[in-house]
Amino acid sequence: MSQSLKPYLTAVRSSLTAAICVEDFSSQLVERHNRPEIEVDNTHNPELILNPMVIARNENEKILIEPSINSVRVSIKIKQADEIEQILVHKFTRFLTSRAENFFILRRVPIKGYDISFLITNFHTEQMLKDKLVDFIIEFMEDVDKEISEMKLFLNARARVIAEAYLTPFD
Amino acid sequence: MASMGTPAVVMDNGTGLTKLGFAGNDSPSYVFPTAIATSTASKATRGGRSTALSSKRGLEDLDFFIGDEALEAANGPSYGLSYPIKHGQIEDWDHMERFWESSIFKYLRCEPEDHYFLLTEPPLNPPENRESTAEIMFESFNCAGLYIAVQAVLALAASWTSPKVQDRSLSGTVIDSGDGVTHVIPVAEGYVIGTAIKNIPLAGRDITLFIQQLLRDRGEADTSLQTAEKIKQQFCYVCPDIVQEFNKFDQYPQEKFAQYIVEYAERKATVDVGYERFLAPEIFFNPEICSSDYLTPLPTVVDLVIQASPIDVRKKLYKNIVLSGGSTMFKDFGKRLQRDLKGLVNERIQRSERSSGAQSTGVDVQVISHKKQRYAVWFGGSLLAQTAEFKSYCYTKSDYDEYGPSIVRNFSLFSVP
Amino acid sequence: MLQIEPNNLLVQKTLTERIFPDSESLRSVDRIITDFDFTTYHISTLPDQKNLLLISIYLKCFGDLTKYGVIDYLNGKYAKYSQYLSVLSGNDVEQGYDYSLVLDLNELESIDDEGKNDVINELSFLKRHAMAAPFEKAFARYDELTQTYANSNTYSEEVQQELQNEEVLVIKYRGSDECIYIKPSFDRVTVIFSTVFQDETDKIFGKVFLQEFVDARKRSVQTAPQVLYSHKEAPLDIQNYVQGKKDDENKGYITFVLFPRHLVKGDRRDNCISHIQFFRNYFHYHIKCSKAYMHSRMRFRVKEFLKILNRAKPENVDDEGKAIENRKTASGRRFDVGRV
Repeated sequence: MSQSLKPYLTAVRSSLTAAICVEDFSSQLVERHNRPEIEVDNTHNPELILNPMVIARNENEKILIEPSINSVRVSIKIKQADEIEQILVHKFTRFLTSRAENFFILRRVPIKGYDISFLITNFHTEQMLKDKLVDFIIEFMEDVDKEISEMKLFLNARARVIAEAYLTPFD
Repeated sequence: MASMGTPAVVMDNGTGLTKLGFAGNDSPSYVFPTAIATSTASKATRGGRSTALSSKRGLEDLDFFIGDEALEAANGPSYGLSYPIKHGQIEDWDHMERFWESSIFKYLRCEPEDHYFLLTEPPLNPPENRESTAEIMFESFNCAGLYIAVQAVLALAASWTSPKVQDRSLSGTVIDSGDGVTHVIPVAEGYVIGTAIKNIPLAGRDITLFIQQLLRDRGEADTSLQTAEKIKQQFCYVCPDIVQEFNKFDQYPQEKFAQYIVEYAERKATVDVGYERFLAPEIFFNPEICSSDYLTPLPTVVDLVIQASPIDVRKKLYKNIVLSGGSTMFKDFGKRLQRDLKGLVNERIQRSERSSGAQSTGVDVQVISHKKQRYAVWFGGSLLAQTAEFKSYCYTKSDYDEYGPSIVRNFSLFSVP
Repeated sequence: MLQIEPNNLLVQKTLTERIFPDSESLRSVDRIITDFDFTTYHISTLPDQKNLLLISIYLKCFGDLTKYGVIDYLNGKYAKYSQYLSVLSGNDVEQGYDYSLVLDLNELESIDDEGKNDVINELSFLKRHAMAAPFEKAFARYDELTQTYANSNTYSEEVQQELQNEEVLVIKYRGSDECIYIKPSFDRVTVIFSTVFQDETDKIFGKVFLQEFVDARKRSVQTAPQVLYSHKEAPLDIQNYVQGKKDDENKGYITFVLFPRHLVKGDRRDNCISHIQFFRNYFHYHIKCSKAYMHSRMRFRVKEFLKILNRAKPENVDDEGKAIENRKTASGRRFDVGRV
């Protein structure tokens, strides 16, 4: 793990633990509705929304945490150094979101400017252990970077082998 | 003809066999087991955390064989065999993706970007599986267009070649009997009536095993599975009545008994073929002769299936009973089924006439067998995919890119003019 | 499968089944078979004569190929089988196809199995041979140029100018967007492929692959042809020949410079032709394979992520498949689920 990653993840972990403090809360606008307040256009009751927070490791890697009374939205921008990483991240996040059903907390569409978003509501925290949810997000952030760079390495290695395999028989 | 464009690729991946070919042909170009042999070395790395990078050249994912070559390779020490389709549904997507990769590039030799594809799926396939299929076909292979058809519906379409069929409707009962299981599937206006489907755990393999058992009981010279299989294909037929058939065998042994000659490299063995000629296929109609736990005869199952379907389509279902799959190929199979089923239906009609006193208009029972029965599903696909309209039923890559995988949840029904 | 084979497996299989039939009865055959780059074969028995097998091929670029003498070349290739394999000429060619051959199965009966297999093999190379014609022509021109300039100062301006004006052979093998350009010179033959990428992923994967093609010569395979790659913009040699959209974002040009060592007459030259004409297929096939491999990696990763996420669900099953219920601490207190 590189030098700056550890403090970054530690900061994310403690911020998330603090932010995921949600309770059941019925909608104040629509009767008998219960919706994640962070997803509602909340000009009417701003008191339900807390201040969003950005933790950035650098301009390419950051996380946006938007807490509210009954839901927290976590959006992650994954490191993309070049074209290849961009397309790999794009492919990977799309692959994940198309399986969002299994992931409970995964949002099908990421927030603009970010690659992937999670939405954690009070229903999730009632069914799942909060610490483990935070663990999941931290591990996700670690593994995604690892996976993307492994895929990139694979692609380069594969390309090399393929090129050599094609060019060798000429002689 | 050729200048009209590239022919569509028709792929019917079944649990046991895969049928591959091009639309417009009258039979599949390849029929081989849906099996893939992967090098055992790559399996070990796949399970671990560090994939592929640990390997030297990273080409393990290209090192595999499919079909007959897979069976051959699996005999060696370095390859492991697996069947990616279980009970008609794709279970192992990694293997399936590579199976398709090899099917397309090695066997069919076509650039998927230039071809439309018709794939088949079993009835009641979850829509998620369709999406995963589309994801592979469009994202990995960039195929030009895709249509996923339900196997039973294609089997119905294949029966249109029979002269008995007058109206080309997509309603009917499909009896699909392959190697593993026999399905009875009612289809109304192109839609499968899922709740009424019934499966019979008796199919081709059971017939072969039954023949093998009879051969062993008699102590024939060769009782291998291959011999039993050959005898099944060459000599078996369905008789109208077992008792009479036994009498016939006793009266005219010359005509009825047959001999099958097994050829080995250095010698020949002769196997007598006796009552199994008609007894083996009889297990569909009298399952008790071979199985002790499954006892419902096929005609009764068909009747139950149709009775479980909505009342307004039952007449159509009785009128158009279509056979599909290798185990329905026995001579007079259709005739016998039709007669037995008619018996059941007439009995019921008489009962209801007696109890209600009203005259019934009668129910027409018709079992259709045709020449393309063995690969009916594939042939139905070929028929559909060669029509000029086929492409308009498909989703193209640009459709997929615009709407995402969920687009394949619905396909419009086809009709052939 | 690493390499794309130059012969067509299905043509081979179909012909083998026909020439070595399982049963005695001769059934009629009518099959359509495809190959890469919009190639279609049609193998059929003639209506009244089941012993005659008609084999026709359609290639998208046949018009270009005829300019470079494909018909003569193919006729030459199949001439040695003339006893039982006749080439149809002119109007006799099956309608909708470009080149037709008729195989007389009765005549073939008298040949031994090895001979039969030889014919089958040669026919399965039909597409390879058709595409080989322009390469052969360009290579022949190279032989000529080598002779011409053997004793002249090839650095002089006039010679350079003449070489510059050498005609480029253009084969629009997949329509006007994807072509092969061949330019002979006295000490080399330049082969340029233009190819189009269907989507963004292909384009970027393609770039990575091509960069390695370019570098491979420097690094390990010194004897290989030199490879150059340019994105969007056509190389100078062929700029006048490029048709269609000039600056397509998704278009790439790959240049192979074949040196005399690759062009030695005989097997090596044949190999070179078989190998280079399938470049596009090989290249795109491997892009697709890498994508397939990426998919399997991502499936694996998704499974892993789900495992981690499921750990957060207390009522979930543990590793042995047993349900974990009411987990207690050592002192007997329960884990508080929910609001912590």
